Amino acid sequence: MIIRLVVALAVAAASAGLAIAWRRREGRFSEGTGRFDRAELGIAKRDQPSALLVEFFGEDCAPCVTVQNRIGKIATEVPGVQIVSIDAGARMDVADRHEVRRVPTLFVLDQDLRVIWRASGVPSEDAIRTALLGPNWAGRPHPGVESHQRVAR
Amino acid sequence: MSEKRMVDKNGMRGGAGLSAVLLLVGFVFQWRAVVPAIGAALAIGSIFGLRYSPLGAAYRFIKKSFKLNIPLEREEEPPPRFAQTLGFVVCAIASLLFIPGWNGAGWALALLVAGLQGLLATTGLCVGCEIYLYSQRFRAHGVEAR
Repeated sequence: MIIRLVVALAVAAASAGLAIAWRRREGRFSEGTGRFDRAELGIAKRDQPSALLVEFFGEDCAPCVTVQNRIGKIATEVPGVQIVSIDAGARMDVADRHEVRRVPTLFVLDQDLRVIWRASGVPSEDAIRTALLGPNWAGRPHPGVESHQRVAR
Repeated sequence: MSEKRMVDKNGMRGGAGLSAVLLLVGFVFQWRAVVPAIGAALAIGSIFGLRYSPLGAAYRFIKKSFKLNIPLEREEEPPPRFAQTLGFVVCAIASLLFIPGWNGAGWALALLVAGLQGLLATTGLCVGCEIYLYSQRFRAHGVEAR
């Protein structure tokens, strides 16, 4: 009986451990690689955003709405930032090319459409802001905004 | 055009938490009947839809009884329904293993289900749903390749 109790607790602990690891990873930014092209983002050549936030979303995905609200708010604060939302289900080719395995997935791109950061899940507003404006940001942060510490990862 | 059926993700998580606890308690007290019972509950959700799942009904009952203010979080039904099917299959195999007396193997599978259900309850990460989404992706690639 005691051994069984220990085994049951071990299963619960393993599940809790995985849960904690998952939560730590969820919504965290990591350095990205690769590059988008204008055609897949549907942006015209004359558009020269200082940075882009590319969000892959899914239909009826509640966390995606949260991310959309957050990036929408941030885009109003930081001039020159363009938002592109891509339906991962409808554009599976683009999603695969950028290794999007789940929604929401958010990319931060510089003006050359290079991927600087990426995050799966729901990043906090501060994490998005930091990824966009942090000192290691390769784009052109708004001069009116002070540098943030690199805590986005 | 067929209408997409939606389910409450929090309901799914609540039901998963309940089944994880029941399986763990069943294991501690060696109540083998818990395994086919959970399997049957998962089968009902899988065959008839998650709205008929006894685990989901239990979650709704608890939520209503204790007036828990848990918001509805809608998501498409096919991935969690597939996950319930997987859960049912594993519980069914575990139940069959009990018949010749292979209790260790049976409980190992039941505890695997309990662990994954616990993970779903605590994080919302549904491993079966992820498998479903991957399979859909591979199917889409198969169509493209033709």
